Amino acid sequence: MQSASTETGVVTQRPVAEQQSREMSGPAVIHASGLSKRFGSIEALTGLDLSVPQHSIVGFLGPNGAGKTTAIKLLLGLSRPTSGQATVFGLDAVQDSTAIRSRVGYLAQDPRFYTHLTARETLEFTAKFFFRGPKLAIQNRIEETLDLVGLTDKADRPTKGLSGGERQRLGIAQAQVNHPDLLVLDEPAAALDPLGRRDVLKIMERLREHTTIFYSTHILDDVQRVSDHVVILHQGRKVADATTSQLLDGGCSYQIDIRGDGTTARTTLEGQPWVSEVVLATTENGDRMMVTVTNQEAGDALLLRSILRDDALTVTNFGRMHHNLEEVFLHLVEGQET
Amino acid sequence: MTATTRVESVELVPAGGSGWSVGLSNLLHKEFGQWWTTKLWWIQTLIWLIILNGVTTVIMLDSSGMAPDALVNEAVQTFVLVAATAVGIAIVLTLQGSIVGERELGTAAWVVSKPVSRTAFVASKLIAHFTGFAITAILIPSAVFLVTAQFLLAEPVAYGPFAMGMAVTALNVLFYVVLTLALGCMFNGRGPIAGIGITLILMGQFFKGMLPETIVLATPWLLGDVAASFAVQQPPAFDRMVPMIVAGIEIVILALVGIWRFNREEF
Repeated sequence: MQSASTETGVVTQRPVAEQQSREMSGPAVIHASGLSKRFGSIEALTGLDLSVPQHSIVGFLGPNGAGKTTAIKLLLGLSRPTSGQATVFGLDAVQDSTAIRSRVGYLAQDPRFYTHLTARETLEFTAKFFFRGPKLAIQNRIEETLDLVGLTDKADRPTKGLSGGERQRLGIAQAQVNHPDLLVLDEPAAALDPLGRRDVLKIMERLREHTTIFYSTHILDDVQRVSDHVVILHQGRKVADATTSQLLDGGCSYQIDIRGDGTTARTTLEGQPWVSEVVLATTENGDRMMVTVTNQEAGDALLLRSILRDDALTVTNFGRMHHNLEEVFLHLVEGQET
Repeated sequence: MTATTRVESVELVPAGGSGWSVGLSNLLHKEFGQWWTTKLWWIQTLIWLIILNGVTTVIMLDSSGMAPDALVNEAVQTFVLVAATAVGIAIVLTLQGSIVGERELGTAAWVVSKPVSRTAFVASKLIAHFTGFAITAILIPSAVFLVTAQFLLAEPVAYGPFAMGMAVTALNVLFYVVLTLALGCMFNGRGPIAGIGITLILMGQFFKGMLPETIVLATPWLLGDVAASFAVQQPPAFDRMVPMIVAGIEIVILALVGIWRFNREEF
């Protein structure tokens, strides 16, 4: 990891998602077991095991071509798995896909709509697949949804006249118009400007009270901001599956800035059974020790004491390391490649 | 985007439904809308009035010394045979992109990502396009033909047999609608769809007199002749029921194959 921040340091930037982190204890809305998809000789997805708890926001992360969209399409029954199986709401993704989709809102990666329909008509068309009722009630739902995504003033414009960002907002609106139990978004913020992205993330945070959100993205910053669980895919294989905070804590490492010769302290630490790695580096302001432990409680309780046994050392900074998701992601992906 | 609170619309109830017809009524509404709330319907009507009624009106006006009953038969036969061939070609050309186009544009993928049966997706197109062509290319021109004949011909057209002939023409329309949509489910490009459809029609024009009767009876080529024979009340040399039954069976098979293929499609 190139950079890290410490709890006692100045640059610590706690992600929103971490502050809101919740235990992933709800029943699984999505469950996949050994889900695989092959296109000819290309293995697009290999043995994906997945569990998405209720009311969580799960970021599905991976570089282009990692298999994210393939996995999403398999979950929604839009594509058939080569092997393995998946359930959504306990229903089989292949056999019960229509029933699954009646409870899901889905935004495709590049949403396309009938160009002759207006945004309002598009939502009306979508809504009628999900529910029926008095015309006024349907209109109210559509108005509410248009307002949610900020398209009220463009509601009567044919979709062919919408910009890419506006089409993306319409995509989110049509995914949300049925108040789904599960919102599946494939790259929801990819076509949006920074303000649009911020708004999408706000909407996602607001919807989490009612909905489970499973979304794919390659924008790491977004994942860190809103997700409480992260699944990372690379070359069709899952390389990480953890809560965001677990992932960012990076296997529990500590950073200790010291003044004085740290070799004795390093030797001492390397002899401790709860220490897995000690790296001693020289920086402009003195030496820096990076210690990875196998037991966080032992690290918290014993690490600093162990170092301070050496009277010749002065500790100027001590804290647990927090990585940003980009570092974790690159570490995992590059690790897979090597 | 502005913040809104979630308002539960208590009056709304889930659309529900299961099986092949899930989403059918909504899709039908959309497909019929594309026919009847756009200029498509009157453009189609205008084309068929010009082609079918234009040709037959010229025949009615230019009797060339024909006997009145012969002139009626000539006009009716021309109307039916031109309708059988020209409408078939028009269907193939018009509908070649109905499913392929949606697949290319991504709208098919969008629709099937909703709680919709894929069978309903194909069926809605089949029902809407058959209805559209049956009304604009058969029903309206037929009505205009009968009115024109009333004024221009000395002998009346027999309504019952004429209606029977037009019913068989409608079967011909159904065959080409189903064929084109089924091909759209099977192929990813417009070329094979138009190629197969048009070739089938043209082969009928050139080869139906040359090929053995058993082969010809297995094609839709004789539907026009059957329709004409009903309309002019002159039984043909072959059993009229055979081409109709064969066409009916082929329609069912093509529809099932097309729907099966579309259900296997990966979006």
